[in-house]
Amino acid sequence: MAAPPEPGEPEERKLLGFLDVENTPCARHSILYGSLGSVVAGFGHFLFTSRIRRSCDVGVGGFILVTLGCWFHCRYNYAKQRIQERIAREEIKKKILYEGTHLDPERKHNGSSSN
Amino acid sequence: MAHAAQVGLQDATSPIMEELITFHDHALMIIFLICFLVLYALFLTLTTKLTNTNISDAQEMETVWTILPAIILVLIALPSLRILYMTDEVNDPSLTIKSIGHQWYWTYEYTDYGGLIFNSYMLPPLFLEPGGLRLLDVDNRVVLPIEAPIRMMITSQDVLHSWAVPTLGLKTDAIPGRLNQTTFTATRPGVYYGQCSEICGANHSFMPIVLELIPLKIFEMGPVFTL
Repeated sequence: MAAPPEPGEPEERKLLGFLDVENTPCARHSILYGSLGSVVAGFGHFLFTSRIRRSCDVGVGGFILVTLGCWFHCRYNYAKQRIQERIAREEIKKKILYEGTHLDPERKHNGSSSN
Repeated sequence: MAHAAQVGLQDATSPIMEELITFHDHALMIIFLICFLVLYALFLTLTTKLTNTNISDAQEMETVWTILPAIILVLIALPSLRILYMTDEVNDPSLTIKSIGHQWYWTYEYTDYGGLIFNSYMLPPLFLEPGGLRLLDVDNRVVLPIEAPIRMMITSQDVLHSWAVPTLGLKTDAIPGRLNQTTFTATRPGVYYGQCSEICGANHSFMPIVLELIPLKIFEMGPVFTL
């Protein structure tokens, strides 16, 4: 994440000069869905009311709400995934260390189920 | 270490730093959306045709722009407090190292399994090996094991210093007459750099910190356990 960009990699793009959309997980996804939500909400409001200024307000509001919603949803799933990856890594390490020994969790489990 | 002109955080080498980076992303997204809203409001102000200079009544809007910032602050504060308490968790450290700040070098003491004490001075540019990092490399690095909780006791012998290693998410003040404690668990091997983070005199910028994190098996074979 903090390494300098390699020659083949795309340059980092920062929205408003500080939000690194390329390297922040879920940021690009949330901004894109937010933009789509903004267009749909704003254009839909305009079709029903023909009020330009109010439709722009609805568009901006839609962008903020959809971006926030997608962001929290994606980050929640990302956090769950990271936890699962960490558990899997630890279990693989334990299995390599303890396989064949008396501490092997599989041996304990098989022993208890046969009893 | 940081690359040239780097503005963002360094890659995480400890679970706490991973959480800090996650929190930083979260806060930055909220900041981005607020900036976007403010820019839009500014645009509307500059392009409005309304010229009424009398004070208008807008109770509903005033209620919204009081409640909404409070909600935003709660959304930022809750993860922040979670990480704050996470950093203070007691995790039974395997090793305790003392770090003493001096003008202008660090002293490290490994006293758990022997009496290893050494100074860590910045390498002057003339003494750098080819490929060495100017103003960052030191003569004696702090060698530590990965995947083991480590306790750092930090103090100073003269003026205020601060022992900081950004990639581990550590920054602890070294205060004369006081012993500060910080703990960390490194998740990957490598050489990690930090710099003194409290102004301490003429050579404040020239007393770096270098950690060499190695696998536990190799650490156990090292000189600390042969004393």
